[in-house]
Amino acid sequence: MIALVDCNSFYASCEQVFRPDLWGKPVVVLSNNDGCVIAANREAKALTQIPMFEPIFKIKNLLKANNVTLFSSNYTLYGELSIRVMNTLRDFSPRVEIYSIDESFIDLDGFINTDLKDYGNKIKETIFRNTGIPTGVGIAPTKVLAKLANKIAKKGPEHDHVFVIDTDIKRIDVLKNTEIKSIWGIGRQHAIKLQNVGIYTAYQFTEMPLPWVRKELTVVGERLWRELRGEACLNMIEIPKPKKGIGTAKSFGHKLESLSLIQEACAYYISEVSEVLRAQKTCAMYLHVFLHTNSFSTSDKQYRNKRTVTLAIPTNNTFTLITEANKILREIYKPGYRYKKVGVNLTGIIPEAYVQGNLFESPKTDQYKELMQLVDSLNSKYGKGKVSSGSTGTRMKQWELVKADRSPRFTTQWAELLTVK
Amino acid sequence: MKLTTIGKLARKEHRHKPGIAEQTGFPSPATHYLEPTIDLHQELITNADATFFVRMESTEYKHLKIHNDAVLIIDRSTPALKGKLALVVIEGDFSVIRISEGNPTFTLWGVITYIINKAV
Repeated sequence: MIALVDCNSFYASCEQVFRPDLWGKPVVVLSNNDGCVIAANREAKALTQIPMFEPIFKIKNLLKANNVTLFSSNYTLYGELSIRVMNTLRDFSPRVEIYSIDESFIDLDGFINTDLKDYGNKIKETIFRNTGIPTGVGIAPTKVLAKLANKIAKKGPEHDHVFVIDTDIKRIDVLKNTEIKSIWGIGRQHAIKLQNVGIYTAYQFTEMPLPWVRKELTVVGERLWRELRGEACLNMIEIPKPKKGIGTAKSFGHKLESLSLIQEACAYYISEVSEVLRAQKTCAMYLHVFLHTNSFSTSDKQYRNKRTVTLAIPTNNTFTLITEANKILREIYKPGYRYKKVGVNLTGIIPEAYVQGNLFESPKTDQYKELMQLVDSLNSKYGKGKVSSGSTGTRMKQWELVKADRSPRFTTQWAELLTVK
Repeated sequence: MKLTTIGKLARKEHRHKPGIAEQTGFPSPATHYLEPTIDLHQELITNADATFFVRMESTEYKHLKIHNDAVLIIDRSTPALKGKLALVVIEGDFSVIRISEGNPTFTLWGVITYIINKAV
């Protein structure tokens, strides 16, 4: 059996742990740069008269009028609480697959004399006790069914956030009451295709002959079909695969016109992504940089451009990458525009150990590697960005994201602890 | 980019490496006796995933030996037995109480396991 444990409105819940005055009240969390709502708790979702996914400036007054509390996103806090939740899960099974920041599969194989409903309750209660984060638990023979069980756990109040599919009768009952389009892994195109031939529920889908499923929905559909019938096809993935591409792009807090400020922001993003490369002991072959204005603005002149360079030797060196990025920026930047965003992407990721030189250059590893290791260890000890390339400049205030309503980083900064007054 | 060699970079990793007199090569007699430095977490924290630090900004709790600016170590996984100090929520506000029968209605946030007061 497999359990899917999923945190309820995770970002909003993280904020509420430290704000008992907001318990039971509507809370929303804003995207990077406070552009729009990315998470809302149950109380906020209940305010259906508010178009939650409109840009924030359009609905801010409506939110305030309905006593909704807004938070800028505080990923430092969410990341830390996520780690605590996942660590707690490891007390319940030796095999945990972290699926996303707020969701994990845990393997319950071999728990034969365990009442799984009880066990699910215990998981839920322990996580809440340790971290203050509410969760839902779905338990079933396969991942796809566990995902379904989780959805049911959250919906019906009678289940108290834990639901187990442990008999065929229950499985069939659940499938009969599940629309095919809401199945994890069924895309919109496939849902339409299935509905066109009269398949509306998950149960109807599982009753189709396998050769037909294979023909119409390929091997992906076959796997789903088997999983829904209780035959596990998706394995637990405990070790995450190294990323194929690493990138970051954030809107500036204010529109920028000057090349030098854009270069500073870009250098900062490069420092962030190259740190990820080094942490997973990889190098990148290609660097991709893009720059654009605000395409939603009607008053601004529009311009966008991008360029990719192949690095002479694959690297994870911040300084080399900044130099290359600056070259690109000088080529694609045009004066006279109000820029909104610069972004960097690193692709062609290969293990550090496989880096080859070419006829003219050999990988200059030693000196650079030591310097980068030192920078990384200082930053992990004293805080992000404490030591960085001079190219990142000192004018971060002029381009960094707007995080007007960010909560304190309660668990990582002495200066921002929760206080009792 | 041109990189200037900085001579001392290579020494960074050996936090617990004994000092060796480079001239003569005599090893430190402490070589095989070094241990990691004392870490307060080992003594004060049993369940790191459930532990939070909270700062007191009030003089109201002197009677519980919690002074202004103290740091409270709170372990949410510790059972709230009678006699324990706890951070609780009463009507939406944080407050510190000693758990007993006469307490007003509260929601437990976590049990206080240590109080770090500044010595005066």
